[in-house]
Amino acid sequence: MKSRRLTAIALIAVLFAAAAVAAPIRIAVIMPSATTDLAFSQSMYSALLSVQKDMGGESALVLKHTDNMFNVPDAAAAIRDYASQGFDVVIAHGSQYGSSVQEVAKDFPKVTFAWGTDVNTFGLSNVYAYTAAAEQGGFVNGFLAAKLTKSKKVGVTGPVKVGDAKTYVDGFLQGIQYADKSITVSETWTGSFSDVALMSAAAKTHIANGADSLTGSSQSVVGSIGAAKDKGGILWFGTQFEQTSLAPALVVASQVYDWTAMLKEIIAKRKAGSLGGSTYVLTLANGGLKIAYNPGYALPAAIKTAADATIKSIANGSIKVQP
Amino acid sequence: MSKTAQEVLKRKTGRVEMRNIVKCFPGVRANSQVCFDVDPGEVHALLGENGAGKSTLMRQLYGMYRPDEGEIIIDGVPTSFRSPADAISAGIGMIHQHFMLVPTLTVAQNVALGQASSRGPLLDLKVVTARIIELAEEYGLKVDPEAFVWQLSVGEQQRIEILKALYRGAGLIILDEPTAVLTPQEVEDLFKTFRRMVAEGHSLIFISHKLNEVLAISDRITVLRDGKVIGTRAAKDVSRSELVGMMVGREIKALDPRPREAGVELLRVEDLHAMGDRGMEALCGVSFAVRSGEILGLAGVSGNGQRELDECLAGMRKSSGGKVLYKGRDISHCTLNERVDAGMAYIPEERMRDGAIREFSVQENVFLHDHESPEFRHGIFLDFAKMRSHAEALVHDFAVKTPSLDTPIKNLSGGNIQKLIMARELSRKPGFLVAAQPTRGVDIGASEYIHQRLLEQREAGTGILLVSEDLDEIMGLSDRIAIMYEGRIMGILDRGQASVEQIGFMMAGVEMGEALSAR
Amino acid sequence: MKNIFSLNVISGILNTMIALATPYLYAAIGEVFAQTAGVVNLGVDGIMLLSAFAAFYVALVTGNLWLGLLAAAVVGLLMGLLMSFVSVSLKAEQGVSGIGLYMLGLGLSSLLFKVMIGTVKTIEGFKPVELPLLSAIPFLGPILFRNNILVYAAFLLVPIAWFVLEKTTFGLKVKSVGQNPAAADSLGINVDRIRYVSVCIGAVLAGLAGASLSISLTNLFQDNLTAGMGFIAVALVYFGGWSPVGVLGGALLFSVVNSFQLWMQVLGVNIPSGVAVMLPYLLTIVALCVTVNRVRQPAALNKPFERGES
Repeated sequence: MKSRRLTAIALIAVLFAAAAVAAPIRIAVIMPSATTDLAFSQSMYSALLSVQKDMGGESALVLKHTDNMFNVPDAAAAIRDYASQGFDVVIAHGSQYGSSVQEVAKDFPKVTFAWGTDVNTFGLSNVYAYTAAAEQGGFVNGFLAAKLTKSKKVGVTGPVKVGDAKTYVDGFLQGIQYADKSITVSETWTGSFSDVALMSAAAKTHIANGADSLTGSSQSVVGSIGAAKDKGGILWFGTQFEQTSLAPALVVASQVYDWTAMLKEIIAKRKAGSLGGSTYVLTLANGGLKIAYNPGYALPAAIKTAADATIKSIANGSIKVQP
Repeated sequence: MSKTAQEVLKRKTGRVEMRNIVKCFPGVRANSQVCFDVDPGEVHALLGENGAGKSTLMRQLYGMYRPDEGEIIIDGVPTSFRSPADAISAGIGMIHQHFMLVPTLTVAQNVALGQASSRGPLLDLKVVTARIIELAEEYGLKVDPEAFVWQLSVGEQQRIEILKALYRGAGLIILDEPTAVLTPQEVEDLFKTFRRMVAEGHSLIFISHKLNEVLAISDRITVLRDGKVIGTRAAKDVSRSELVGMMVGREIKALDPRPREAGVELLRVEDLHAMGDRGMEALCGVSFAVRSGEILGLAGVSGNGQRELDECLAGMRKSSGGKVLYKGRDISHCTLNERVDAGMAYIPEERMRDGAIREFSVQENVFLHDHESPEFRHGIFLDFAKMRSHAEALVHDFAVKTPSLDTPIKNLSGGNIQKLIMARELSRKPGFLVAAQPTRGVDIGASEYIHQRLLEQREAGTGILLVSEDLDEIMGLSDRIAIMYEGRIMGILDRGQASVEQIGFMMAGVEMGEALSAR
Repeated sequence: MKNIFSLNVISGILNTMIALATPYLYAAIGEVFAQTAGVVNLGVDGIMLLSAFAAFYVALVTGNLWLGLLAAAVVGLLMGLLMSFVSVSLKAEQGVSGIGLYMLGLGLSSLLFKVMIGTVKTIEGFKPVELPLLSAIPFLGPILFRNNILVYAAFLLVPIAWFVLEKTTFGLKVKSVGQNPAAADSLGINVDRIRYVSVCIGAVLAGLAGASLSISLTNLFQDNLTAGMGFIAVALVYFGGWSPVGVLGGALLFSVVNSFQLWMQVLGVNIPSGVAVMLPYLLTIVALCVTVNRVRQPAALNKPFERGES
């Protein structure tokens, strides 16, 4: 009799444990551009897929995404929908979504919200903020560009001077200054995150003006890369995502945002009962930022060694890059 | 079409016959068992009131509509037209009441439109121009082929319409109310052209509701009423009164207002100036006065500043100079509301644009202005019961035919809409009334009613400015007649002082002294 | 700063201008046809997107740019038939159906891109063709006569469109159905058919505009590649007063200012980039205010035709 009762208790305990193990964590992500933009949105989406794979697939992590949310009110509605559907973590991947997150997060205290790129958690205990110290990779790219340019002219194509587009370019300029003060850098800002044709024209303008090394930020830089590829003999420095696939002959290196470590930590913290309240910054030191060299580009060994040394110096703080 | 075929058609389209034509539109039987025929070289008039089914019948002959029943027989061969293109190639031309011209194109381009070119896909305007000049000489129609249509006068535009039909080799030409917009002299010129066309072998169908014109030009006259043929008569054997009886279905009393002593001066207009819609001066120093119990008729071809004058008086258009005095008070700068409150009323020329709201019900249209009046309000709320009884009374008193007070006004006939607008304006017991084109597009029955009401108002001491293009109306109702031409008053005559002909001269810009001496 | 007006910079500005103007020319001249016939097609941007995708995809898969061009034209034609059906046959509100067409093009191109290609790829687009002799003209030669075939065709389109509208019987019919469809109808012209043809010409040209973006200018496809260019093209039609030459002027003005502001940024002229980016739009608005000419506007623009309403 007694043993039977014990068995029953054990059985229930096992069932509970099994249930606890089996219940997958549910994550939803809202992104401003396409998951295939080879830039900002794709960096997050790829990271989520890789976390999902590491954790054991669909059974451990249910992932839903909504992309191309250029329109903020639509995004706000999507954030609220996901929260109300019982998702555990809702990621609003865009600095324009801040006020939406602030509003919705108050209504769903049991849901973890993560948003970026920014550092503000609004004082809410269920909001994580995340950002990337894009200036650090920018510095390295700038350093490389300065060492490699022959015409001593470098061009930068950006969308709007805000967020990580701005910090990346600021770092890039510091990197060039650090390596070679005689180099001319010119910048163009197109005013649009999506106008590929204008971005392409901007890159062509830099090239016509004599630039032989280009970089740029935002999902519309594919236009710049296309223009550089057409012209040939131009070097490209990527950011946000590994851009080698687009122009294997041109890309020297890309600063890669790797959100996986951050995502894993958020998941672990949630399991431990902490729903939010802190800020993550991807840096070269914590491995969230990586410099991915293009294996197909014959980078002179001396320059590579110097670049690696720069990365180390930034990571250990002996070079300070201003955002 | 080959040149030879065109030559043949140009002189002669044989006998055209429409047999037992039936055409229905939702809710209306526009033509019911209509039989109509035209012999070669004949002018056959189609007479009837607005809505009698004249245009509908002719649009079937021109391929714009297809008859529900009945057949069209040309030279003994039953024919069916799927589009105007078919009718054109059968030698039929139509000149519509609203001209079918493209104002931004030149005369030659308008004529060439839709015609095959001798250069295939490329335009051959030189050939077209040469042919236009040829035709113009042959028929005495003076035009400049290179002018843009928007630059031309109404009379010139009509000549182009006729040329278009001739150019297409029309043997039979349908003319839908061709005289509606012309001065008496222009009508005379038009009739000369008609006679020339008949002499050349064309046959004409002349749609009109003007008896004098019909009698003057036609060989035969067919009268339509409510979509049915009432009868066909030879023009030489029929009297005016018989035709009116056929059109209206009853006798119409001739207008004969009793002479009456006019009262005190109510409205005085002094040297009024105003700009037209196109930024040109439309009123160039207009002066006149209207006394109580008097109808001042304002005659003129439309577009000579009448509309601008009406709107200035109603407060809908700003004057650029001069004064309007009402009962001695300068109201030049008063708003429309202030004028209404002072006792002025306005029956606008464009009744569907300025006088009523299409989608609103009969009752709502009655209260377009007076819904603010304390009489129909409880505080901020409308007093619907009272509004309804008021609207009912008006509809009854003015014999407005409407299914209900809630029917959208757009579903009423022109005459009934006009009666309702008149009822609304007169219910305020105005001291002065501007009636602009009060019977345009209104059937004879309703016109007669409106005329009676205007005379009643005159008896009651209201001062009335009656603006009309219909000289019969002006001559029949007015105590005095002012003639307007190019923004100026050419002269003001007492009733009986001048003949229609003399007024017609003044409408065409001839000075008063000269016109009156032209006997 | 000092070298803003050097020959090199001026030729650079003009070069960029010609490239930027190309898609606008196709799309806006196409829209001139539709609007002259009385149909406002606001779906130009959607047609451009879907055609840009079709051209890119076909060129990517087959390696044949001409097949890509053909695909863009076919997609444009289909979209044009859809627009005509809704706005001419069904007489729907043109503005709304145009926006609907835009949404369709935007959404469908994005979806197909995701499903059929997946990620941003680039191709080898049309290469510049140097016209013998002409390209040797100093200064102007390299600007005007070292472009790819789609650029030449776009500029050639201006006199062709003018000729068709002004010198052919078809052009006369197009103008008449846009100005006074009742008059055209009374002369036996099939108003609906002319409107169908005009809208479809416009849509095919919008398709070529899309192709010029994806297989000649940027040589890639991405979500919302046009970034609203089709709407600018519609504005250029008003700007150009419904004439191909006017549209050319508008497209060149808009593009030259855009290319000028890019050069100013590259040369480090000290003005805020926000102001620089605004310049083309600002100037367009100013020019519109100065040149506005409603007289030429087709009187029946935006009005479906129904026989017998007078």
